[in-house]
Formats: sequence, structure tokens, C-alpha cells
Amino acid sequence: MELSESVQKGFQMLADPRSFDSNAFTLLLRAAFQSLLDAQADEAVLAAATYILEAGKHRADKSTLSTYLEDCKFDRERIELFCTEYQNNKNSLEILLGSIGRSLPHITDVSWRLEYQIKTNQLHRMYRPAYLVTLSVQNTDSPSYPEISFSCSMEQLQDLVGKLKDASKSLERATQL
Amino acid sequence: MLLELSEEHKEHLAFLPQVDSAVVAEFGRIAVEFLRRGANPKIYEGAARKLNVSSDTVQHGVEGLTYLLTESSKLMLYLDNRKEIRTILSELAPSLPSYHNLEWRLDVQLASRSLRQQIKPAVTIKLHLNQNGDHNTKVLQTDPATLLHLVQQLEQALEEMKTNHCRRVVRNIK
Repeated sequence: MELSESVQKGFQMLADPRSFDSNAFTLLLRAAFQSLLDAQADEAVLAAATYILEAGKHRADKSTLSTYLEDCKFDRERIELFCTEYQNNKNSLEILLGSIGRSLPHITDVSWRLEYQIKTNQLHRMYRPAYLVTLSVQNTDSPSYPEISFSCSMEQLQDLVGKLKDASKSLERATQL
Repeated sequence: MLLELSEEHKEHLAFLPQVDSAVVAEFGRIAVEFLRRGANPKIYEGAARKLNVSSDTVQHGVEGLTYLLTESSKLMLYLDNRKEIRTILSELAPSLPSYHNLEWRLDVQLASRSLRQQIKPAVTIKLHLNQNGDHNTKVLQTDPATLLHLVQQLEQALEEMKTNHCRRVVRNIK
């Protein structure tokens, strides 16, 4: 039996009780068989997932969901179950949907180094402190994590920090409106 | 920086230490006049007679002094601007891009293709950097929590300069 590496990795996840407890394991296993053997089940799962995404995208409330499910001839009990499940997962769903999409490279962290420069081959001697700042950046376009590094003097760093503080205060004021 | 004088040049100026200061002063004056108005053979002849040397010697002496004066003024220019010149030279060392400026803007994302009705604040930053004379900019974004983290970390970096450790190093390695 030849299985690709990614499939092997995915399958091995089923073995991990930290990823899936025994309850989840049983459900997943059954779902796997069902989606293979039962074309209808597969279609139904896909449809439900699509509906859930759309509802999440448009921030549907309980009454919207109920109305639509009623139209689809769901009985009271099933409507209740669906809405409860939706409510339980609503926040995670919104976080997931909100994270999809293109955006500017996002700064995630900063590291710095303070050094005292003593000599270069251009000048006989020079003594000055300098900072090396590295911004960690996340790019939606590529899975890479490029870094932006630059050097600056103490005065320049003060300028930089001052401006970031202004932005921060502005943000604070704006969120209080 | 030292002034480099050729052997010939040194010979021309060789007699100056042997005469008294009044003579040197006179030579100095003639040299400045030379700079202003060019050579004046009559003055050279007069000086040559008084000093009992050839007028060639006088002429060489004047020219030598003039050269010395112009080179010295170049050195003066260097000395006056030394700080700036050294700063520029130090920036020529193998280096990373250096900070130039930062512009920022507050944004609130209201919706996206995958999620409507959002209120997602973000800070958009335009970072201006210089490298080898080239100016380049990077447009980046961050969220409020990370912004606070950045400020906190970089303020700590600035505080480091004020510690005893740094002060001692800066004071003692000069």
C-alpha cells in the first residue's frame, strides 16, 4: 500500500489522543466510512458545511437560521440541535473566516540588539553605540516569514518609539469613542 | 591627516627656520599677496637683496609658503567638518539599511469577502529606510496588541543605554 507522506501524517493524527479523544475518534471513523459508502451522506455533509460557512459569513442570527431550516423541512428538534451546535462554534467560525483573505505583511514581533561599534575598515577608529532592530513579519501571500532588519542610532530609535506611541494613543482614543 | 611635502618643496622652505621671525612674517605676507595678486618680481628682488640670497630662493620660498597655506586651509576645512565627514564615512561601512522615518495610519476593517460586519482595528505603517544612498519604503500592518508589545520592547531597548553597564563601556572604550 502506497500512501503519500501527507496522507500518512494525517492518518497518524488519529492515533493521538491529544488530537482526538475516543469519542471524536469513533465519530470521525464512522464519518469516514459513511462518506465513502453513502453518497448521500457525503453530499449532506458538504451541504451542511457550505451552509454553515455562508451563515457565518453573513453573521446570521438564530431567527434567520430557524427560518431557513424550517423552509428546508427540518423538524423542531433538529432545528434546535443545529442552532445549539452553531452557537457553540460561532466564535471559532468567525475567527477562522476573519483570518482568510489578503492583507499587508503583518508584524508579529520585534527583536533588538544594542552594539558598540569600534572600528570599520573605512575609518581608523570610531566609537558609537547603535541598535539593530529586526521585525518579524507574516505574509499572507507566501508561507514564508521574512524579517525586516535595520540599524539605527539612539536618537532614531527614540523617534521610532515616539511615533509608535502616538499611534498607540490614537488607537486608544479611537476605541473609546 | 598629515600634510605631505615633496623633497623639493622641503628644500624651498629649508631656509625659513634659519632666518628670524620678522623675515618669516614678511614672507608670509608676500605669500598671501601672491595668492591675491599673483607674482611680483620686484618684491622678490627687494627681498633677495635684503636677505643676501638669490631671488630664485625668495621665489621658491614664497611659492612654498603659498602651497603650505592652501594645504593648511584644506586641512582646516577637514577639521571643521570632521564630525560630519566621519559620520558619512562610518555609514559607508558594510551595513544594513538604516532607519529614516516612520509614518502610521489607523485603519478599521469593516468587512471582507469571507466575513461581513467586522470591526477589526489595525495600524498601517510605512517604514522609510536608507541603504547605500537608496531610499526604500516598506508598508506593513499590525494589530493593537502587537503595537503595544513593540512599544514595550523598544522602550526596554532604549532603557538599556542608561544602564551602568552601557555607561561604563561607552565611557571607557574611547
